[in-house]
Amino acid sequence: MTESVAVRAVGLGRRFGSQWALRGVDLELARGEVFGLLGPNGAGKTTTVRLLSALIAPTEGRASIDGFDVVADADEVRARIGVLTETPGLYERLTAVQNLEFFGRLHGLTPAVRQERMERLLRLFDLWDRRDGLVGAFSKGMKQKLAIARALLHEPSVLFLDEPTAALDPEAAFVVREAIAALKGQGRTIVLCTHNLDEAERLCDRIGFLRGTLLRLDSPARLRGLGGRAVLEVELATALPVDVVERLRGRPEVQGVEVAGPLLDVSLGDIQRDTPGVVRALVEGGAALLGVRARTASLEEVYFEVMGARPPSDGGPP
Amino acid sequence: MRLVRSAMVGAVVRREAREIIRNRLLVSSIILPPVLLTASPILLIALGSHAAPLLPADQMAQLVARHPSWAGLDGREVVMAFAISQFLATFLILPAYIPLAIASYSIVGEKQTRSLEAVLSTPLRTSELLAGKAIAALVPGVLASWLAYATLLLLTAVLVAPELVPVITDGSWLAGVLALGPAIGLISVEAGIIVSSRVNDPRVAQQIGGIVILPIVALIVLQGAGGFLVDGPTYLAGAAVLLLIAVGGLRLAVTLFGRETILTRWR
Repeated sequence: MTESVAVRAVGLGRRFGSQWALRGVDLELARGEVFGLLGPNGAGKTTTVRLLSALIAPTEGRASIDGFDVVADADEVRARIGVLTETPGLYERLTAVQNLEFFGRLHGLTPAVRQERMERLLRLFDLWDRRDGLVGAFSKGMKQKLAIARALLHEPSVLFLDEPTAALDPEAAFVVREAIAALKGQGRTIVLCTHNLDEAERLCDRIGFLRGTLLRLDSPARLRGLGGRAVLEVELATALPVDVVERLRGRPEVQGVEVAGPLLDVSLGDIQRDTPGVVRALVEGGAALLGVRARTASLEEVYFEVMGARPPSDGGPP
Repeated sequence: MRLVRSAMVGAVVRREAREIIRNRLLVSSIILPPVLLTASPILLIALGSHAAPLLPADQMAQLVARHPSWAGLDGREVVMAFAISQFLATFLILPAYIPLAIASYSIVGEKQTRSLEAVLSTPLRTSELLAGKAIAALVPGVLASWLAYATLLLLTAVLVAPELVPVITDGSWLAGVLALGPAIGLISVEAGIIVSSRVNDPRVAQQIGGIVILPIVALIVLQGAGGFLVDGPTYLAGAAVLLLIAVGGLRLAVTLFGRETILTRWR
């Protein structure tokens, strides 16, 4: 049986002592989906990953991976997931190959399969020449790459990656991002915890903003269109007749219209869905359009809005 | 469902062994004590066989009465037999000391490098992880004590005092070295694991875990002082009792070594 839903959480919550770290998380991730989990430190990202990877048990709710319950079928769940933890957590007195070999054995890979995958992954992450070097002597970036290779070794169907590019130089980060894209192409589901909004936007099909619970979950494009910040910028050859502006304001999908001479800003709820209708209405109203451009909020702006916090203003003290 | 799968335990043992070999402190902890343990009685025999003071006749008679197998030995040999028999205690402590050191470093080391989260997210079970760690810690200690014993036996038989060989091959020595020592080692490993899951310094783990060795030392001191005589069957019975305790200890260790505790409380 192949379920189309790879990760499912229903009312998932976890309490430590009297403190709820996470509560009321509902989530469904499709096979092959890359899902970004964004939130400040202490928002519950690590707890979410640990709950979904059967490392800790939920206090309330339930979750499953490939249809296997994280509590009742914990062994099955762990066989299907790969986890890149917050810290690489490698055995520093062992070589790169010995580290991978150990995890290959724990996942029951045969020697031939182990060998083939170790070589492929070590070459992919440019570690093949250092395969027999002690990990303790590796740079931070090399350790991170090896930890990612470890998470991929058994070709898991669901991958949890906690800050995968955090310690990497731009070149290595590029390799990791390419690898994530390739894994998505192979139908693997990826949960990406990151503080890098640009990376999340580039890699993720959907993004969830987390702070004790999932505050918002949507595609990056739709998230950027949230909060009245999706604006259609229209450049006109001549000023628009007043009645056309009024008719525009009366359209249900239009949240606001600002006119400044030959420039028109139309705020929309969903820029992709609503743009064609608005442009058609303008043309039918006699507007001579020179250009139309969608201007959406940056993910960073949306992040701060959803989280209820604002970034420090420009020009402040360093 | 089996409690432990041998392939999983084997993988843990193999990795632990590789790490132990590269840890100079642990390697020296494994090598030095057996060397000293072998050298001390040999030196004692070599130096004392001609210079050992003779005991008064009544004390000599008491010793021979307690150890009928010593009846054929002359006065100095009885004194040497008595002296060398005291070293059995160290052969019981050795398989406890080495595994305790290894187990403490192993678990606290995983805490320090935070390597356990990745391991725990694999299908490896806690019981398999602990079994692998226990075996990897116990085997070097037991092998080291057996090797030291074999060396002591060989040197005594070939070079130093062949007449004392029966003393160190009687029932209490054989049962002590081959059965009771490993059983004490197992208890020691479990103590190391349990204590290590609660502290962050391997030395503290060793010191607290070392408490399990104290009753053994007390037992041997009492025996050496002539308080009572422990023979081979008693040692075997003691080993059996310790193995039973070890089963309960393993359950306790698995409980205390819970995945959640490791992930959420270990710092």
